[in-house]
Amino acid sequence: MKTFFTTALTVASLSGMFGGSLQAAPPATAKIRIALIVESTVDDKGWCQSMHDAILAVQKKRGAANVEYSHSEKMKPVDAGSAARQYASKGFDIIICHGAQYNNLVTEISAIFPNTTFAYGTSANIGPKNVFTYTPYSEETGYLNGIIAGMVTKANKIGNVGPVDGGDSARYTRGFMLGVAKANPKAQVRVAFTGSFGDFVKAGELAQTQLKDGADVLTGSAQQAIGALRAVAAAPAGIYWLGQDLAQLGIPEGTRVVAASSYNYAAVVEAMITKRAAGVKGGESLPLQFSNGGFHFEFNPKMDAKVLTPAIKKAVEKAKADLTSGKLVLDWKAVKL
Amino acid sequence: MHPVEMIYNVLCLAVPFSVAILLAALGENFNQRAGIFNLGCDGIMCVGAFLGFMVPYSIKAGALLPYGNVLGVLAAMTGGALLGLLFALVTVTFRASQGIAGIGLQMLGWGLSGTLFRHFVGGVTGVEGIHVYAIPGLSRLPFLGGVLFSHTPLAYLAFLMVPISWFLLYKTPWGLKVRAVGTHPRAADTMGINVDLTRYQALMLGGAMAGMAGSYLALCQAKMFSDDLVAGRGFIAVALVYFGRWSPLGIMGGALLFSIAQSFQLSMQVWGIKFPYEFAVMLPYVLVIVVLALARKARQLGPTDLGKPYNREMRF
Repeated sequence: MKTFFTTALTVASLSGMFGGSLQAAPPATAKIRIALIVESTVDDKGWCQSMHDAILAVQKKRGAANVEYSHSEKMKPVDAGSAARQYASKGFDIIICHGAQYNNLVTEISAIFPNTTFAYGTSANIGPKNVFTYTPYSEETGYLNGIIAGMVTKANKIGNVGPVDGGDSARYTRGFMLGVAKANPKAQVRVAFTGSFGDFVKAGELAQTQLKDGADVLTGSAQQAIGALRAVAAAPAGIYWLGQDLAQLGIPEGTRVVAASSYNYAAVVEAMITKRAAGVKGGESLPLQFSNGGFHFEFNPKMDAKVLTPAIKKAVEKAKADLTSGKLVLDWKAVKL
Repeated sequence: MHPVEMIYNVLCLAVPFSVAILLAALGENFNQRAGIFNLGCDGIMCVGAFLGFMVPYSIKAGALLPYGNVLGVLAAMTGGALLGLLFALVTVTFRASQGIAGIGLQMLGWGLSGTLFRHFVGGVTGVEGIHVYAIPGLSRLPFLGGVLFSHTPLAYLAFLMVPISWFLLYKTPWGLKVRAVGTHPRAADTMGINVDLTRYQALMLGGAMAGMAGSYLALCQAKMFSDDLVAGRGFIAVALVYFGRWSPLGIMGGALLFSIAQSFQLSMQVWGIKFPYEFAVMLPYVLVIVVLALARKARQLGPTDLGKPYNREMRF
């Protein structure tokens, strides 16, 4: 008898671990519970903060009583699995693992919790039925920044401080090059990568290298870009920066930022909530574009009008309108580095 | 761009890039010369970077305001020395495995600095930092002026530490004690040298220098703090000690070679030379591994008791 109970208990445990669903029943109320898992921090003035801010915006819009939000920071892919599992076990409806590095983790865990919606990005993969992916079409913001860079530069040398040539960074860089080529064909874009998303010192070193080479306008993406912006801020007057996060406008170094854009993930979060309410738990890739409100773009209101001229603003506004209407489609893949 | 100008730019950038790893490696050299292998150098640098940032960040006004950066560097050195003391307690007094304790110290330093930063500061933010001080007259020398005499005061101090370290190690009684306890602690003990005390002193000095290296990153290079700021540079510093064959001059050569490779690979990308950047960013690290692999004879020059806890009661 003892052996029977031991065997039954073991089988039950194993089936629970590997075969059975650990899914809690969906809550009866309309309240939506969202969890965010990030590799950096939610106040990194970059990649992770943009998703965090978006969820807070959705929470504010729908009311704190209707949207419960929790987040986990500093989650390497190996650690994120247990965090995602805990959120799913506690009945969270949407679990966003903010980074393409979580691809395998999400694909694996989504099978164990079929009633939970998972999301990761950037990725254009069409995943399992309860997994959304999202892709910022960053070439659009890059294009606008590129137009400004091309019109602001006096040295006709523009530097890019990229993390890696992949994902939305690759799209941003190529869109930026298209924008520069459109506004100022004589200007050269010096593209370089640090090989890291979070090495601020190396980003600063790369920015210094760009400046030493004569670049007078720089741009960069990912959270490491703050390191490059610090180097620009420490450089002599007349060196400018184009940001990929609006938070860069509000910091002391923001005096060098001509304009900045950022992802409005609120559009993605809203789409996921709406689709889930309609019974679609995943299986789609959601884009972020100007046309669906996926981007915010702002000029620095404190920037000297001699730098940020009305002509620049006009050119950017026209390009933005064309991107929003679909009149302008950027073939970023055609740009070779 | 003219080739001479390209070389000039690479060298101008390589010197400030090398300072943090040079300082940390010179400190690690004292540790290893005394027979202690401190893998926690990276963690100490993290704490140094945090304290170096935190002090000037906290001093918003008042009489101390002009001295914020100096106090930040001193706080970083003090914090580093205290962590060196902690490491000495664990590895010298308690005779714990130096490798494991070093990894623990690295994780402690990284986690502690990140947690304290989140608690007291929050998000990424900057400080004024330490600016470049071009030495009057010398900085106007053609070529050499820009390469050697247009840097931050900490950079000058770091390169000044090379002859100072050499003098301390080879020309003072204390340096002789340090080398003795790292090479043959029993013989040193027999001669009346307090092995444990000497190792404590070496670890505290090494910790202080690693702390200063961290503060250099926070105050001179990035002018900000983030818990990933050090990004493994402490481990490069440990490797540089082997690379430099436990000699301050060799360590400086290694630090400069690594930084020139780093500066060159960044410049190569900026110049638009067609070379996969994935390989370019690996270049400095590959260079260190290749040189270490080729320099097998270096082991013969190292402290023979490196990594071994000393227990005067053990007779084998």
